Amino acid sequence: MDPHNVFAALADPTRLEVLNRLASDGPATATELSASLPISRQAVTKHLAALDAAGLVERHPSGREVRYTFDPGPLGDVVKWAGNVGDTWDRRLDRLSRSIE
Amino acid sequence: MHDDPFEDLAGDVAVERSITLPANPDSVWEHLTDGNLLGDWMGDPIEIEPRPGGSITMTPDDGPLVWGTVEEVEPGRRLQWSWRTDDGLPTQVEIDLEPADDGMTSLTVRETLLPWRITGLPPQWADEAYPRVFLSAAA
Repeated sequence: MDPHNVFAALADPTRLEVLNRLASDGPATATELSASLPISRQAVTKHLAALDAAGLVERHPSGREVRYTFDPGPLGDVVKWAGNVGDTWDRRLDRLSRSIE
Repeated sequence: MHDDPFEDLAGDVAVERSITLPANPDSVWEHLTDGNLLGDWMGDPIEIEPRPGGSITMTPDDGPLVWGTVEEVEPGRRLQWSWRTDDGLPTQVEIDLEPADDGMTSLTVRETLLPWRITGLPPQWADEAYPRVFLSAAA
């Protein structure tokens, strides 16, 4: 996945908010998302399609609707970086603490 | 209006850790600015010139050389440097010390992805919505 596609998908503040809802509150349908956002179900569906194209959401058909799940995969490089750096500082500070005691 | 719309964003892509150490800030400071002591707890040999503009290099046994520049030095209070590997992400490391109760020291370290690496991002990523996506993804 080209990172620039991901960034383009997130460039729209409303779309970013849609993704934030999925990331914070868990999987949802377009109907559920539109109920808590100041935009129509149709507009939410368009944003979800853009997020899907960027690989940032997964589609799970659920009856007559589709349930969407946040997929952090395309943010992987950033997430991986943060995880590695955090683990490294945990180990370092542990050693510092023990060397000072 | 910021001159650089990505400045805020870069601050969001950061890792922060805090710890309370059983020594006063001056003692802890030695462990930050004496290359041998610093290397001991950082886990790899380090050479540091603890003055603004001084160099810092870390030589891991099993990885590429990390090299950079010391940026801020406030003895007993604050040390900041930026560094990178030849093909890796450049980051900024800030270490702040504060006196805590009973002669102890509170140390906070923050490592931040530097902005020029991510200037391809749209300014909306600087919006407060962004860190929530990031934190959820990192969990």
